[in-house]
Amino acid sequence: MSLFTRKDRLPIPPKDAERFTTVCQYCSAGCGYNVFVWPVGKSGTAKNNAFGLDLSTPSPMLSGHSYTETMHNVITRKNGIKYNLAIIPARESRINKGDYSIRGGTNAIAAWSDTGYTKKRLKHPLLKKGDSFAAISWADATEIIASLIKSSIDKYGADSIAMKFFDHGSSGVGFEDNWAVGKLFLSGIRTNYLSIHNRPAYNSEVWGSRERGMHELNYDVDDARLADTVVLWGANAYEAATILYTEHIMPNLQGASVDEKKKEFDAGEPAAEGRLIVIDPRKNASVTVAEAIAKERVLHIRPNLGTDWILANAIARIAWENGWYDKLFLEKRTDLKTFEDYKTKSLQLSRTLNEVLAEAEKITGVGRSEMQQAAEWIAKPKAGGFRQRTLTIYEKGIIWNMKNYDQVAAIAQLNVLTSNVGRPGTGCGREGGHQEGYVRPPAPTPGSIYAGGPPKNVDKYLTGGGARIYWVGGTDPYLSTPNSQFFKKVLKKRCATLLDHIDEGGVPSDPKELIRRVLDGFEKTDGLFMIVQDIYMTHTGNDAMLILPAAAWGEAADTSVNCHSRLLRIYDKFMDAPGEALPDWKILSMVGIRLRELYTAAGNQEMADRFKEMDWKSDEEVFLAGSHEFGNNKIPETEEAKLSAECYKGVTHQILRKLGNTGIQTPVRVDPATGELTGTKRRYKYSFSTSDGLFKWYGTDAWSGYPAEIAKYIDNPTYPFWFTTGRSQLVWQTMYHDRHLPEKSFALPLPYIEVNPEDATRLGIKSGDMVEVFNEEGTSVALVYVNDACKPGLVFGIMYHAKGSMNHLTSSYTDPKTTMPWYKGTKVGIRPYRGTPDEAIKTTSLLANNDVS
Amino acid sequence: MSISRRKFLQSSTAGMALALFGLSGKAESASGKKYPSLRIGNIRELKAGEPVQFNYPDSTSPCTLVMLNETAIGGVGTLRNVVAFSSLCPHMGCPVNYKSGRFVCGCHYSMFDAAKNGQTYQGLASQWLAQVTLRFDKASGNIYAEGVEGLLYGRISNLNIS
Ligand code: SF4
Ligand code: FES
Repeated sequence: MSLFTRKDRLPIPPKDAERFTTVCQYCSAGCGYNVFVWPVGKSGTAKNNAFGLDLSTPSPMLSGHSYTETMHNVITRKNGIKYNLAIIPARESRINKGDYSIRGGTNAIAAWSDTGYTKKRLKHPLLKKGDSFAAISWADATEIIASLIKSSIDKYGADSIAMKFFDHGSSGVGFEDNWAVGKLFLSGIRTNYLSIHNRPAYNSEVWGSRERGMHELNYDVDDARLADTVVLWGANAYEAATILYTEHIMPNLQGASVDEKKKEFDAGEPAAEGRLIVIDPRKNASVTVAEAIAKERVLHIRPNLGTDWILANAIARIAWENGWYDKLFLEKRTDLKTFEDYKTKSLQLSRTLNEVLAEAEKITGVGRSEMQQAAEWIAKPKAGGFRQRTLTIYEKGIIWNMKNYDQVAAIAQLNVLTSNVGRPGTGCGREGGHQEGYVRPPAPTPGSIYAGGPPKNVDKYLTGGGARIYWVGGTDPYLSTPNSQFFKKVLKKRCATLLDHIDEGGVPSDPKELIRRVLDGFEKTDGLFMIVQDIYMTHTGNDAMLILPAAAWGEAADTSVNCHSRLLRIYDKFMDAPGEALPDWKILSMVGIRLRELYTAAGNQEMADRFKEMDWKSDEEVFLAGSHEFGNNKIPETEEAKLSAECYKGVTHQILRKLGNTGIQTPVRVDPATGELTGTKRRYKYSFSTSDGLFKWYGTDAWSGYPAEIAKYIDNPTYPFWFTTGRSQLVWQTMYHDRHLPEKSFALPLPYIEVNPEDATRLGIKSGDMVEVFNEEGTSVALVYVNDACKPGLVFGIMYHAKGSMNHLTSSYTDPKTTMPWYKGTKVGIRPYRGTPDEAIKTTSLLANNDVS
Repeated sequence: MSISRRKFLQSSTAGMALALFGLSGKAESASGKKYPSLRIGNIRELKAGEPVQFNYPDSTSPCTLVMLNETAIGGVGTLRNVVAFSSLCPHMGCPVNYKSGRFVCGCHYSMFDAAKNGQTYQGLASQWLAQVTLRFDKASGNIYAEGVEGLLYGRISNLNIS
């Protein structure tokens, strides 16, 4: 009867089970988990077990001990022996306190199991031969890659190598792998055509804040419980950083953190239940859950797509007009020279308040009373003249908005104008997607157009015929890159052209002959040699020439920081990778070592030297090698702003193992007084990260309409709907694990869109129908859910899904200041599909996911 | 959290004497033990959309029996629209409430579709709600609980392991 086999009993870890601490492999929250491994056949008892609990009576609700069906798996280690694996949320973690989300709750069943759901992991390097892939040795794979890279650099220059690699923590990579990527591509190859996993260029998503002197990870998770007001701006925390919401924002709204506030606040300062402002075009579950708790303390603002910076500036102007700022703070902590520009362009002080707000209303579609309310909640001093404490958390709704730079800058500046930084309950930063773990040599493009940029657009380079080699690591651009239908079409063709050339006169079997023919193909065709490094086969991988199997989370010891506390922890190795899969750093190391040998043999010492110091022997060695990039960190607390946000110099894997779920917060300092490694709870209490320590203001652009790529759709009746995209609570990224788990594949079987009931009626569609969504960029087929999350005229789609991508529809526009795409705004038409609905709808829920009433 | 677990258990069993366990349950647990067969209601007494509480497979496991307005996976009755689920959220054990075709948890707002095998379509529960296997006796209209598919919250095993 059940759609898949359910369990009604779980194996009990015996007292002597192996124990590890780890951090969830998924989102930015970085929840703590404990891992237990013990041989199949061995068992603890109800009274005597590794959990240290009496399991003969059921745990009470909210006990913080959870061990559910999805938290157990059976794995096989290299010794051939089968082991039980239990991965349970850590009660002792101050991030999640035993709580967990629907994504992290599956950490165990997503682990590689040759008898479970995840059988299909990549196990060997694969080379395309004719029309299919064949396993080859690591020695051959390394030789092919290193030889092709060397020849390509020598003949066509370093820019003939393009890459797209992860730059995050979690998802099976960490500081270790990031350092290796940096050494190979930034120190070694030195191409300008670098791009980061989720976008077409090698850029920060938040230069608009960083170039002001404020790194985007500056608050502590405690601040979400201490704030008078939390602002979620383009950040659907309930669904995308779930535990930040349920363990920190929600208790604040419920009034459960008032006592904590009383302890942290100044004497006599009012401390009450928190308020939440959600700025999002959609009424998603982050809004409806909050409204179910305390409707009177929730403000939902729904700006027109692309207009948020105008809204932020309007709110700032209201705060300015009312004097809701701290003059002393502005004078002492911020740069008054650049402030003039901000006053002129962002606050528009030469115009009247009425003029500014009337125009803002027109552009953003947000009423003046809502702007006023937001300004009061963010900035109006409390009774007794105490400053408001506001924590603003923004994410992809802002980052992947039109005009990335100005959007981020406007929000950062609103918070600094109202001195909401550096104090308990304040801060302004990203919600994050993944956790972070960035340590690399300097990138070729240091900043936005105002600081040496913008960086190159690698997608446009590739589709325009640039590059001979394209190496993709830990991402699936066929699903995730903007305008992906076009991108795929061109890359598919370029890869096929090279393959045809290689196969002429028979498929070569000797790697040397293959290399010769590829190089010949580089000369005679516009063919592309694509390498894909990942843990599963990907959509992109199907067109690659070479596939490299990487180790996943838990199969190597990695480290990262979460986004809401910069909490550095280790996620230890508790199992072996399948087959011959290797940690990402190891793969890059092998190629680097071989390149050095080839250049040495060719007598080119200068090039050989670029690839030195890549012969690490262990996960920890790479981690330590990266730490030197951070420079001197023996400084007092008052100078913490001088440190890189993720500085971990002095920390070792061994130290992190001892710290377990407690971890240590970056930037880590060596305190000059005590000589001890010391974490940083909250940033920018004393100064900002600029040469003089002052926050640098920036006057944002005025509204000038939509870019040509979108303007062409305005007033065109063929494309009547605004279209935006985002995530689902249920799945992580491209569903690389989730697509194999029945709990997820039944519940989210197809790419989908959400349509307002009014629009649905007009289109003659209902929940469970299929439609084609289209515009001049491309088409996507989607399952329909009718709900009231979107206003009429706006349609939401899951950004991508194992079975298809909405990025077929996104334009190739990027912010000229940062090369950051506007993934979240375009226009589309919708055509109902009149055939038989997909079988999947018989077993999937069609209920509205934002209706919690 | 305002509602204590004990209070909830009391209210869910209120007015409902524990029915006698039958001797031969149909389903067998992974432990080899058998689930009891328990009469939990009669189809003629059920009204669509009005849930009825019972305990199964033992007195500390509150469950909900409900007749839906649609055919359901695992549903019994002539319209296959009668289903039963554990009333404890598989996320962290708070009580779930039946409303309009789904169960909603008041702690972190996980929501489970009653017609679709108790699947979590929103919220935090990575495990779906445990569904009670039902048997329907056409002649009498009686509905019997005869097993549980999925782990009950907070247990290492659905059937006592002490
Ligand atoms: S909230 Fe994020 S980190 Fe925490 S369990 Fe869920 S996916 Fe993992
Ligand atoms: S206990 Fe039900 S959602 Fe958490």
